[in-house]
Amino acid sequence: MSAAGRGGRAGAGEASPSRRPSQTLRRLERVLTMVPWLLDHPGVTIDEAAERFGASRDELVEDLDILGYCGLPGYGGGDLIEASIVGDRISVRMADFFRRPLRLSLQEAITLLLAARALASAPGMPESAALDRAASKLSSALGGPAGAGPDLADARVDIDLSAPGDEHLPGLRAAVAEHRVVRLLYRAASTGATSQRDVEPAALIAWAGGWYLQGHCRLAGAERVFRLDRIRELEVTDERLPESRALAPARSPAYQPEGGDLEAVLDLSPQAWWVEEWAVLDSVEPRGEIHRVRLRAAEPDWVARLVLRLGQHVRVISPPDLTERVRRLAAATLHRYR
Amino acid sequence: MADRLERLINLVIALRETRRPLTAGEIRGRVAGYGQDDPQAFRRMFERDKADLRNLGVPLETAALDAFDDQHGYRIRASAYDLPDIQLEPEELAALALAVQATGLAEEAGAGLLKLEVDAGEPGLGRRPAQAGVEVSLEAPHRASLMRAQITRTPVRFRYRPAGREESERTVEPHALVHRRGRWYLVGHDRDRDDRRAFRLDRIAGAVHEAGPAASFAAPPPANADDVVPVAPASAPAQAEVAAHPDVAWQVARRAGGGGQPAPDGWIRYSVPVGDPERFIAWALEFGADIEVQAPAELRQQMVEWLEHVAAAAGGES
Repeated sequence: MSAAGRGGRAGAGEASPSRRPSQTLRRLERVLTMVPWLLDHPGVTIDEAAERFGASRDELVEDLDILGYCGLPGYGGGDLIEASIVGDRISVRMADFFRRPLRLSLQEAITLLLAARALASAPGMPESAALDRAASKLSSALGGPAGAGPDLADARVDIDLSAPGDEHLPGLRAAVAEHRVVRLLYRAASTGATSQRDVEPAALIAWAGGWYLQGHCRLAGAERVFRLDRIRELEVTDERLPESRALAPARSPAYQPEGGDLEAVLDLSPQAWWVEEWAVLDSVEPRGEIHRVRLRAAEPDWVARLVLRLGQHVRVISPPDLTERVRRLAAATLHRYR
Repeated sequence: MADRLERLINLVIALRETRRPLTAGEIRGRVAGYGQDDPQAFRRMFERDKADLRNLGVPLETAALDAFDDQHGYRIRASAYDLPDIQLEPEELAALALAVQATGLAEEAGAGLLKLEVDAGEPGLGRRPAQAGVEVSLEAPHRASLMRAQITRTPVRFRYRPAGREESERTVEPHALVHRRGRWYLVGHDRDRDDRRAFRLDRIAGAVHEAGPAASFAAPPPANADDVVPVAPASAPAQAEVAAHPDVAWQVARRAGGGGQPAPDGWIRYSVPVGDPERFIAWALEFGADIEVQAPAELRQQMVEWLEHVAAAAGGES
């Protein structure tokens, strides 16, 4: 499998800095965002408003009902918000204090900026220029002296998503968008073999420092993940897939162990500990200067190549078959130097 | 739920429209939904509402009623409440919606995006974006809280576990968050070591604590982080001569930055930057017998010794 063994799992989950808002607060957030739009768009239908604000019809009707009980202290005739539904159309009046949406919270602003910077930094994205403009509008509108508090323009986030093989991104991005079959000349890391594959592309994934193409490989007859730097040649074919074809949900390019995979036990010296952050391991058992790790792999040759790369910093404990593979691989390579 | 929603909306309206700050007593007496007989029950309810509104980003401020009195009141300034005109163009808004989707940040940023959509007159755009077809994983523990600490210039304290070394406590003035090769780093001034350092977010053990008030250090000018964040091998000047089998030649060509001369048996010869020799050897060995390091002689010899060692350890001839 193309990305076998690439690993480095994300750290343990951690509570987000602010508590997740309750149902009521989520609803308050929606109402405060929706009212300015309803004020500007008298006569919209319930269905349109519900769809635009991600609510059900019933929730929306209830929101409007609640709004009718809100207003300025005194709560008399001219104080209350007028929210009515006539036929199927909504009218909200007397709510001038909610003419604008609530300012973005720092968390929202930071996160939007991060999303914009991240995608804009990916090479070959047609949205980059628009994202740069959006980010600079956000920074200048939400920073500055008017907003008491931190200035979004002070955010220092530096994202670089360039990686070997990213020259294929523009072509692949278009292929994904247009549902075009791509033809790859691809060298699998696990076996070292190069083959031509027709792939129905589903998604491009930036993960653990590499770019991957995920899609249905017609050669394998299955879902596969391809690392872009192993694509030797890329051809975007004229064959278009029907848009209705369901694209499999994206999954992590990380190796997923299956029954029948090779199980290996290795002793790593400190110089080889990086493997622990790079590969998906079943366990790590520190024994002083040596870490004993257990891992599985779909392709035994992948582990043999890893052992070859680690040289004197690794010792194969089991299985004996792996030792034999390593011996053969080392001898074959050494042969070139004789 | 409906009662509480109604009360919160009424509180926002009352505090926004008041000409002078309202005391807690006035709020209890005048804002619909607070008419409790028990002052303790009112206090608890009001404290919770205040905290929740602030958490949502409502700029609810505490203000002195006058210069001589130590009594406090509450209000919301319209200028701090209202979203300023941002007016993203449809293309910018669509790109931003796509970016939120591609980065998987909808949970954190969705409500903010909706506000911008209302500002631009297109609410709901982000809920039905074109299939992005791109996914960028930005997951890392502490990312959100460290970004907040950086932007507010708040020093932080955490336990850090460098690879293969002892865990220790660090106090850091956050200067920037840097994402390189799939990893997040915090770049900042390490107070204990009195030096600029980079910390990998996934090596922070446990919680990140604030170690001082906001704005308690001066922000340094924006700087390139490449001096502290480890760089990819490929920058060293030393070159190696490498012959490659035609099947893998293109991969070697990528590292060589092009070029390539014909060699015997259809192989192709490249001049490749070395960088760190051990990493270079590891890179070369990924190709097994499909490439041969030909020069310089020391590097070739190192390669041979490496392979002999592996072969011997595997019990084979060498």
